[in-house]
Amino acid sequence: MNRLPIHLVVNKEDYHLFVKPNRVLLDVLREDLELTGTKEGCGLGKCGACTVLLNGRPVHACLTLALQVDGCEITTIEGIGGEKMHPLQEAFVDKGAIQCGFCTPGMINTAKALLDENANPSEEEIKQAIAGNLCRCTGYNKIVDAIHSCGCQSKKKKGGIK
Amino acid sequence: MSQLDIVGKSFPQIAAQEKATGKTKFVTDLVLPRMLYGRVLRSPYAHAKILSIDTARAAAMPGVKAVVTFQDTPKIKFGPRSEDWTIFAADKTRFYGDEVAAVAAVDADTAEEALELIRVEYEELPYVISPLDAMKSGAPLIHEDKPGNIAADFKIEAGDVDRALDDSYVVYEDHFYTNQVYQAYMEPMSTLADVDLSGRVTIWTGTQIPNMMRMTYAKALGMAPDNLRIVVPEYGGAFGAKMENNIHLVAAVLAQKSGRPVKLVNTRHEDFIAGNPRVPMHFDIKIGATQNGILTGKDVKVVGAAGARLVYSQVIVATACYRVDSLYRFKNVRARGYTVYTNTVPTACFRGFGNSQSTFVLESALDELATRLKMDPAELRIKNGMGSNETSVHGWKIGSSGLRECVTKASDAANWIQKKKDKTPFKGIGLSCCNHVSGNRPFAREFDGGSGIVRIGKDGRITVFHGESDMGQGQNTTFAQIVAERLGVTMDMVNVAQVDTDISPFGLGSFATRGTLMGGNGVLAAAKDAYEQMADIAADMLNVKPSDVQCRKGMFFHTDSPDTKISFQKVASEATIRHHGAPIVGTGFYQPPTELPDPETKKGNISPAYPFGCQIAEVEVDPDTGQVSVTNFVAAHDVGRAINPMATEGQIQGGIAQGLGWTLMENMAYENGKIINADFVDYIVPSSFDIPDITTILVEPIEPNGPYGAKGIGEPALNPTMAAITNAIYDATGVRIRELPVNPQKLLAKIQKTGKHTKR
Repeated sequence: MNRLPIHLVVNKEDYHLFVKPNRVLLDVLREDLELTGTKEGCGLGKCGACTVLLNGRPVHACLTLALQVDGCEITTIEGIGGEKMHPLQEAFVDKGAIQCGFCTPGMINTAKALLDENANPSEEEIKQAIAGNLCRCTGYNKIVDAIHSCGCQSKKKKGGIK
Repeated sequence: MSQLDIVGKSFPQIAAQEKATGKTKFVTDLVLPRMLYGRVLRSPYAHAKILSIDTARAAAMPGVKAVVTFQDTPKIKFGPRSEDWTIFAADKTRFYGDEVAAVAAVDADTAEEALELIRVEYEELPYVISPLDAMKSGAPLIHEDKPGNIAADFKIEAGDVDRALDDSYVVYEDHFYTNQVYQAYMEPMSTLADVDLSGRVTIWTGTQIPNMMRMTYAKALGMAPDNLRIVVPEYGGAFGAKMENNIHLVAAVLAQKSGRPVKLVNTRHEDFIAGNPRVPMHFDIKIGATQNGILTGKDVKVVGAAGARLVYSQVIVATACYRVDSLYRFKNVRARGYTVYTNTVPTACFRGFGNSQSTFVLESALDELATRLKMDPAELRIKNGMGSNETSVHGWKIGSSGLRECVTKASDAANWIQKKKDKTPFKGIGLSCCNHVSGNRPFAREFDGGSGIVRIGKDGRITVFHGESDMGQGQNTTFAQIVAERLGVTMDMVNVAQVDTDISPFGLGSFATRGTLMGGNGVLAAAKDAYEQMADIAADMLNVKPSDVQCRKGMFFHTDSPDTKISFQKVASEATIRHHGAPIVGTGFYQPPTELPDPETKKGNISPAYPFGCQIAEVEVDPDTGQVSVTNFVAAHDVGRAINPMATEGQIQGGIAQGLGWTLMENMAYENGKIINADFVDYIVPSSFDIPDITTILVEPIEPNGPYGAKGIGEPALNPTMAAITNAIYDATGVRIRELPVNPQKLLAKIQKTGKHTKR
């Protein structure tokens, strides 16, 4: 199979790659770029472990062909925080929202996309947003709490609710 | 007990930041130089004779470095408990997914293509899926040396069951079925294997039982256990499944043949069809009570499906036969448990280990008794519940029991009495209790305790070595807390080493809810040893007696004059200098006061501590569709003492979510001998929308045998969930659920029959 050139911006860094047309973004990230924070849980877009942000929106990297995202900006879990952890990452840690942690990168990416769009989501909105991200360890209660706490914090910072 | 600084406080997992930032290297993330990618060719038939295998074309394909079949293995029969395994099917395949051949190639695509070039000629054989059918005469024989497909037959009896039932005021008798469900941990089974020049094999894998697995695999590979090293990186959940599985051995054989490291990762489909899912069981139960609601006797027959080979199903069926007997003050019990070979994926451990199956049955039956006795189901449980310092019918010595407190606290929190009176159609509330163990003497082999090593380096850095397994539940954090508490240091000073059988103690592993108690007591003993060595040096440096010093928050000080003090780091440095570089190494072990059950009577004391719990579910049943939604959940669990309350709550909430999935959503469905829903498209596990708010209540009676009073929680978190929900469905509709999972169509049909829907 001929390899074709693509250009990706991953976590704000430029990558020029040659990929097979059937290569999915997940394999490019995990194998070619060695960004193993993005996980493969099912390969069918049903578990959400491979969720990354494509131009800010959550997508399943396991179903996305690398060629489809030529020229796009991609954020993986490695690019979510800066020098310090992102507030969502801190909240997941502090609230006990992480057990085995295999779903965590995808879950945090989905949550980030939600909060970027809706700074103070309700519990229902949070549950709606993460409905495609499976977690088998926590029973979701603490994940919802963690995301919810970030919503409140962002309001606090804006001087809103006490 | 003196004041606790670390134990009893909620700490995030020590690995949580790494996990939150994507830095954690899970098994599937591991890469070695020159690593090959393995793939397994699996049987497309439930039962088939292998006439021939032609691997020549696959082996000749560019990029393929090894192709292996049974012929490339040592051809030794082996198994965790019963030696009915081979690495790859030898002359016939026994389930859809059975390992037939494997390839290792330079990349995953090449390996996949090579699989298609392997030609296998099969002759299909008649197959059998249901264990009830497999027991019938004339059923296809799965293992030629096991007539009637009976893999194991377990019997237990105490008291006079027939007389007790005859004399009972009420007797309830029924048939129940608990289905086959999949653990659905988020990281599929995966392994990396490498061989050195001497032939020594290293396997990196997510396993709950690194040392026990090593003994089994050494036999399979025909090598001394010393020549096999197992390393356990972080891994993505297990819930019982990640024990022995052929893929680890396939990777090892591929590495041996290719001379290169080989990574083998199950696709999710493969993980469904060849993992180790829950043992499905048929139950016949007969149970009686007096007019006052005192349980009289219980008679149970269990038939469980082993699948095509024995992993641990025979022990699980045995557990289903009698563990629940120690939940209540039974005097007369009898059980017979058949473990039966079937042409299905080999079944094994899944959170609850047989006790979850029989807890569903018993707790459903208790609700039926309560109805017949016109008694509050909660009262029936309180009346019969096992209390502290009692001995059960099988000789189990219950140290602490918080069972009654669990029932009353859960009832209060759920507003049970009020809600039970409220008869809003299609809304219901249900209650269920459970007991469990913290370690299981008969499941372990030569011993059942735990051990640890605590190393303190020159800079005061503490490393804890254990041989159990953190599968994501947070065991390493619990151990770090126990060690930090005992040493008197802060959490940031403690590391927990990756389990490596070359270095770690010979721990038995994480099963039977044993980690916190057995492993925790093991590392506690090691910490005590290390502390005493440190205290001697600290006392010398402070010019006081060792008995007069103590350490808190990383500072040794004189008990009576706290200003006479020296830091833990300075003492560690001095220790290393005095010992010419040798670190302080504390070792220790815990020998539990258990008794191996008598082979005949099965009397013994299988665990040093017994956790209990009570869960209450509220449901709404859609009168038009029969769909059940769980609207509220309260769970009170006797955990002895929660070393880490946040982690303990997480265990409870996670267990309930899995139990809810089992009750209402999950089922491995077979058609033509194949699992037809072997992926997350068709096998639906609970998502955020399916799980209600779960109120957790920690009941802490402080267990005398536990480390700082702790018992286990992993499995009891799930055990009562199924019956709590189905008892709530009964309350809502008058329909008794006797088969898992709840089938909305059947439920609807039965609701229409009972006429209860007319109340709408």
